[in-house]
Amino acid sequence: METESERMATNGEDAEPEARPQPSHPRPLRRTGDFLGKHRLSAAISRLNQEIQYLQAELDEIETMKPSSEACKAVVLSTEGKSDALLPVTPGPENPAWHRWFQRVPSSHSRKWWTHKGSDVS
Amino acid sequence: MSVAELKERHIAATATVNSLRERLKQKQQLLVDTDVAAYGRSQGRSAISFVSTDLVCCRTLQGHTGKVYSLDWTPEKNRIVSASQDGRLIVWNALTSQKTHAIKLQCPWVVTCAFAPNGQSVACGGLNSACSIFNLNSQVDRDGNIPVSQILTGHKGYVYSCQYVPDQETRLITSSGDQTCILWDVTTGQRISVFGGEFPSGHTADVLSVSINSSNSNMFVSGSCDTTARLWDTRIASRAVRTYHGHQGEVNTVKLFPDGQRFGTGSNDSTCRLYDMRTGHQLQVYSQQHDGDDNDIPTVTSIAFSISGRLLFAGYSSGACYVWDTLLAEVILNLGELQNSHEGCISCLGLSSDGSALCTGSWDKKLKIWAFGGQRRVI
Repeated sequence: METESERMATNGEDAEPEARPQPSHPRPLRRTGDFLGKHRLSAAISRLNQEIQYLQAELDEIETMKPSSEACKAVVLSTEGKSDALLPVTPGPENPAWHRWFQRVPSSHSRKWWTHKGSDVS
Repeated sequence: MSVAELKERHIAATATVNSLRERLKQKQQLLVDTDVAAYGRSQGRSAISFVSTDLVCCRTLQGHTGKVYSLDWTPEKNRIVSASQDGRLIVWNALTSQKTHAIKLQCPWVVTCAFAPNGQSVACGGLNSACSIFNLNSQVDRDGNIPVSQILTGHKGYVYSCQYVPDQETRLITSSGDQTCILWDVTTGQRISVFGGEFPSGHTADVLSVSINSSNSNMFVSGSCDTTARLWDTRIASRAVRTYHGHQGEVNTVKLFPDGQRFGTGSNDSTCRLYDMRTGHQLQVYSQQHDGDDNDIPTVTSIAFSISGRLLFAGYSSGACYVWDTLLAEVILNLGELQNSHEGCISCLGLSSDGSALCTGSWDKKLKIWAFGGQRRVI
């Protein structure tokens, strides 16, 4: 996304007032315009310098970072030992509530129920 | 200093930032020495094996008259809110298939919805650039509609996703076409923080998805049309903690991995990826050859992990819903080919809080509930 300061920079505000014919609008407006342009540019440069510092810190950090195999190991370990209702083989405990999707559900409209084979009877 | 000199400094600083970012990306790539699948195989893991009758469609929720765009479960087990092209939110009891609330929205172009942690309110957002909150216990008005209880205005672009901060009824995060995410106080309607926008390390295109870390709700991940995902600390709005590269297309969906240390993404480049939050490493790419010609590559619209993280569910624009073995990066089932499957793009999906059921929403106007109906072995 183009920042506001980049947009201003391409709008031709770089000519010094004295190099142009006198404008018909009062001088203070032009000075205010220059002041605002400088102010915005300075603020944008300040933000970019801060970003440079952050990026330098990230580059320093990455020198001490472990390779991806460490994280891959953690992923494998994190999925084990956790009971999971959607897996065909899972550590316990099995929660009886997991079966509710296949049990008779009282309904005010009709005797709707779902078989264990999961056919959507409606 | 003159404007000309300042402009030169600005150009130089921009070039330095770009060069440092490039160096960071290259150093990052050098640290990727393996992926999860290669590591898993080296440790003797083998893929989960499903028979085709293991995961079954056990409910079809019918009632929307337009494409379903978004869904969210309550933290307590059985209720779902869905948002549709028909301009309505519907709250369902997924167990009985009954609709408990149908909310006709003033702005019909809704694309996202979320349930509050206490299940008493729902939020939605869309092309009106605002997020509306409805209290489900409110007295209905003369037309039988639930009145809106709060409208969160401030985004300057469409609201593409919203999520309540877990265990905080009063905090909600939205993401928008204005390239920012916002943390809101729902009670006052005020913006607490804006993430991105004018600052250099925010997203540079529409932000399509957010996922808040339930292990540490100060942290959330966002996914964007700028092909990156970013990690944010809600206490530091000025800068993304980290930016994750790799996708070749817009990142449509992000979801935290159950261990709270990793997260998954889904993209227009037809792949899902798994990233390590702390280091930024791309740990795995989930990529599959799809049927059909090369011009018609399906996009990943939505993802969810099973409660252990062993399964990754991914919905595609083709109507496929692949069940990936997260560790071995293999597709072990396609819900789109099962009996009673959807007949169109899968636009959204989500897991119930106890992990016993998956809900999918589709452009076929329906929601479906899937659960394990086979022979389970408990070890």
